[in-house]
Amino acid sequence: MIQKLDAIGGQALRDIAAATQLDVLENVRISVLGKKGALSEVLKGLGTVLPEERPKMGAAANEWKRQIEEALTIQKDKLESAALNIQLAQERIDISLPARLPHRGALHPVTQTTRKLLQIFSRLGFDPMTGPEIETEFLNFEAVNIPKDHPARDMQDTFFMGPGVVLRTHTSAVQMRALRSKKWPVRIVCPGAVYRSDHDATHSPMFHQIEGLWVDKNVKMSDLKGTLEFFAQEMFGSESRIRLRPSYFPFVEPGAEVDVSCFLCKSKPVDTCKVCKGTGWLEILGAGMVHPRLFEMAGYDPGEVSGFAFGMGVERIAMLLHHIPDLRRMFDGDSRFLTQF
Amino acid sequence: MQVSWNWLSELVDLSSVAGPQALADLLTQRGLEVEEMKTQGVGLEKVVSAQILEKKQHPQADRLSLCSVSLGSGEPLDIVCGAQNMKAGDKVALAQVGANLPNGMKIAQGKIRGEVSNGMLCSESELGFAAQSEGIIILPPDTELGLPLAKIMGLNDTIFTLKLTANRGDCLSHYGLAREIASALRVKAKKPIAELVQFKGSPIEVSLNAGEGAPQFFGCYLEGVKVGPSPRWLVSKLEAVGSRSINNIVDATNFVMLELGHPTHAYDADRIEGKKIGVRIAQEGEKLPLLDKTEITLVGTELVIEDGSRAIGLAGVMGGGNSEVQDSTTRVFLECAEFAPGLVRRGKTRHQKQTDAAHRFERGIDPQNLPFVISRLAHLVVELAGGKIVGGASAQTRAAPAPRPIEVHASYFNSFLGTSLETAEIENVLLSLECQVEKSQPGKSLAEKAAESGAAAETLLLISPPSYRLDLNIREDLAEEVARSVGYDKIPSTVPQLTTAPTASATEPAVSRLILVDRAKDALVQLGLAESLNYSFTSAQWLAQFGMKSSLKVVNPLSVEHEHMVPSLLPGLVHNALDNWRHSFGSESLAIRLFELRPTFQFKPAASSDGAVAGTDGAVAVPAATGETETGVEEKWKLSFVMSGPRSSQALRAEQSEMDFYDLKAVVENLFANLGTKGIRFMPASASRTPENEILKLLHPGQSVEILAGNAVAGYFGMLHPGKARELKARAPLWIAELDWEVVSKMSRGATESRGFKPWAEFPPMERDFAMVVKNDVAADKITQVVLKAGKPLAKTAKIFDVYRGSQVPEGMTSVAVRVIFLDEGRSLQEVETDAASSQIISALQKELGAQLRT
Repeated sequence: MIQKLDAIGGQALRDIAAATQLDVLENVRISVLGKKGALSEVLKGLGTVLPEERPKMGAAANEWKRQIEEALTIQKDKLESAALNIQLAQERIDISLPARLPHRGALHPVTQTTRKLLQIFSRLGFDPMTGPEIETEFLNFEAVNIPKDHPARDMQDTFFMGPGVVLRTHTSAVQMRALRSKKWPVRIVCPGAVYRSDHDATHSPMFHQIEGLWVDKNVKMSDLKGTLEFFAQEMFGSESRIRLRPSYFPFVEPGAEVDVSCFLCKSKPVDTCKVCKGTGWLEILGAGMVHPRLFEMAGYDPGEVSGFAFGMGVERIAMLLHHIPDLRRMFDGDSRFLTQF
Repeated sequence: MQVSWNWLSELVDLSSVAGPQALADLLTQRGLEVEEMKTQGVGLEKVVSAQILEKKQHPQADRLSLCSVSLGSGEPLDIVCGAQNMKAGDKVALAQVGANLPNGMKIAQGKIRGEVSNGMLCSESELGFAAQSEGIIILPPDTELGLPLAKIMGLNDTIFTLKLTANRGDCLSHYGLAREIASALRVKAKKPIAELVQFKGSPIEVSLNAGEGAPQFFGCYLEGVKVGPSPRWLVSKLEAVGSRSINNIVDATNFVMLELGHPTHAYDADRIEGKKIGVRIAQEGEKLPLLDKTEITLVGTELVIEDGSRAIGLAGVMGGGNSEVQDSTTRVFLECAEFAPGLVRRGKTRHQKQTDAAHRFERGIDPQNLPFVISRLAHLVVELAGGKIVGGASAQTRAAPAPRPIEVHASYFNSFLGTSLETAEIENVLLSLECQVEKSQPGKSLAEKAAESGAAAETLLLISPPSYRLDLNIREDLAEEVARSVGYDKIPSTVPQLTTAPTASATEPAVSRLILVDRAKDALVQLGLAESLNYSFTSAQWLAQFGMKSSLKVVNPLSVEHEHMVPSLLPGLVHNALDNWRHSFGSESLAIRLFELRPTFQFKPAASSDGAVAGTDGAVAVPAATGETETGVEEKWKLSFVMSGPRSSQALRAEQSEMDFYDLKAVVENLFANLGTKGIRFMPASASRTPENEILKLLHPGQSVEILAGNAVAGYFGMLHPGKARELKARAPLWIAELDWEVVSKMSRGATESRGFKPWAEFPPMERDFAMVVKNDVAADKITQVVLKAGKPLAKTAKIFDVYRGSQVPEGMTSVAVRVIFLDEGRSLQEVETDAASSQIISALQKELGAQLRT
């Protein structure tokens, strides 16, 4: 009986090794280990064996069964992985073919820049505030200390809508609305479209501004400087420095033009720098301490509070950031431009 | 304003300044921005005086000469020259080999038509003296040879162009600027000297009749003057700073203005009628001929100078043509007056006369300085034109303004600026600016009180600014003077303190509005649209293309293209689409996907009661301010988009297709889902509540929708009407939408509103498909409504998943397939329950829609 077992086992191992198809292998398994398989048949005859020899026979049969099952598993894995490899080879594609690309939308660079600015100033505690684009001449000019028949009006060529009504030339009118409607402290940033009668590569009849206003007890000019330094570093990188130059805006006193160090060529300005043109500085902001006249106009006691204000052109910052050479591109509605940002 | 270094150095000692660049930096740092700096003589380094020894015809060219030129020493040079105006013996300007001329020309040794030339004889234009010139420069016969031309011509100056701010009228002159520089250098400016004229004895009398409009007038009568050209020193001084020489009298007035900052005027005394001169407000309709040969008609708000019978000048702006100094003039009357800045500005603006005089008067002149200015002028006229001063005349409607001291605590400067300056330093700054500073120690009781609390006694400063600093009126003005004098870089950086908690801004209407705007923009960007920004104004003609009229227009537009405020964002976006098509090329369809979310502008009828006239028949209304803050204009925000082209940005041809109505609908639905907009319904154009709406009329009647949000119309979308598309030369179907942002945002989820999480069903749903044939005019959403109603409460969703029209169904009929999901949230459904609900659905479809069910 041992010989019979060895014969069946040996034949099975050879058959397994010879099988090249999974179904052939399965047939081998059935013919040996199946209910009516050769090994099962032999084991059925175990009863005819002498009782003392049975354990030995049983052990031998089980050993063959183990060996056969192991061989079957190994061969099955081998055949399956070969089949999978064939399948994988067949499924190879050209990954360099173009993607099935959905349309890519984009926010206008003015919106992106405005959002970034609002975010920066919100960290310091400024809340956003908006106002109408068609304003009274009073709020746009008189209330911010630009009287009629004053040469400061030349600084802002104005579009008129009717008697006493203008397209706002700056968002300062919003600040005045805020001062008149709130009690101090006032901490606001006002984004929005503004209008001036000017049109060329660096002037647009409509553009966007953000102005900030901080009014409280004991606000100092050094607070303005610290605020703008924080802004510059958040916007243009932590190495950024600012420079204040005395200037004149009727709604502030003292007033300043504020330059930010060039973020492209940094500390060593080069004439070819396409951002600062070699000056090392970018003229970006106007700022100053709120003129007491504004507090009077808003019904505050100028002896009680002080404040600072600043303003900047959003397009200008976006143009510097993205090296956009011509302001007019911002308002062309050209997809080639708009989808780049 | 142009300023000369040489002139400045006559008025202030500049020896401690390293040079012109250092001066420019100093001025800019003090808030007087130097825009440009020009050094005279740059490019003339190798141009020298020379003499033509011999002149011969060029053998090869008729128009050229061969000149032998001497520099006074060394071998004569051979020069080929194309000019005709010189002869042997003339002294000329020779650009030597290696010269790099102001006009960009580089001089090298070369051969011209075979003849060697060792330089070039120069014309005025080649040397940058004139834009155009004829022939070469011929120098005076007594010119020394071999000298640099710049030296011969006295070109050793640097000219600064200053961009002065409107508050610094006091710096609009060389002496004014010298004062400012003197303050920075802590030296004294050298004031020009003139013996004061006696203000009596003038044959012409002065009178003032304009109240505050003209508070001071000083005149001076001279006789025996001889009008003629100015001497060289004066001409070159004026020309250096961009002022043209006219004659010795006019030049004297210009010189005094450029030196002292006060505009003056010289009249031909014999042309002043009635021996009287004065100032008054103009009469309406009055005519006035001006120096520039124009005649203006006065409106009655300007200040004019008058004589005994007529207006003879637009005060502070320009003299009259009827009284100006002529070549034959021998008696002159000089004027130096003070005019109200606002009135001068009004006259200048009204009549579009931008003059140097008006520029200075509207910024204000030194009211204390008039007698000195006219004396300086009178003596200068005598020096230049001879004659003698007969006498002066003056009139004043008020005493010269007294100093106006500003009271400030010494500690104010540091607490306001954030600096830590010594009081002495602050005082020194103010003194250098010619302010008077008086110190007043606090009273004894105050000092004791301060001593008790351990604080230093507060010194009170009484500061009187000089009369010419009209811009220094309040303590903040003085703080700026201190800050800019010590340098803004001395101010430290601090962060402002939050004295109250930040506002909980998400619930503020202004902020939540911005949040919603951001959300809508983000949603559209995710859907593959790019944000466009168009101007708020356009032309009436373009609006008319869309059947639209603006109710508002700009009074002074840049052009007709920028005249009418937009009532809708669509005309702008459609314009963008057409532009994009125009510059596209290739055979592929162009993807256009643009949106805009901005205000549009309407006249607000509610305000029309208050004087403003509402437009009727589309006539443009003129809003007038009602009160300080009301304009009578309504700003309505709209959200609009235009789309055209392929479904995806990139795909192989077999997988690509053109977008259609349902892609547009998807964008609208997605947007509303993002905003959490409630109560949205889409109505076909045929069922519109607003059939006359101009946007609806722009749309394809069979492919357009009126959007309802609750009971309000929230907007429209659909295909641009093919007829309109053809008219506009649109290259492909254009899909457009415009939403009323006010309505949409009212119906949308607030910034802090809960989304209300809904758990999903735990028990398995069952699904059934229903296929039917219905008449073509049965709308799909009608079918799903009938299904859901009949299948209540188990039928939860019904989705159309197939639609077919064609040969398999009868003419006029559509085959529709609906998948219905049945569900009970609390338990597993039995097959029989679903069957029962299904039969109800089938009978409802048959009964209500006449549907034939297919099995």
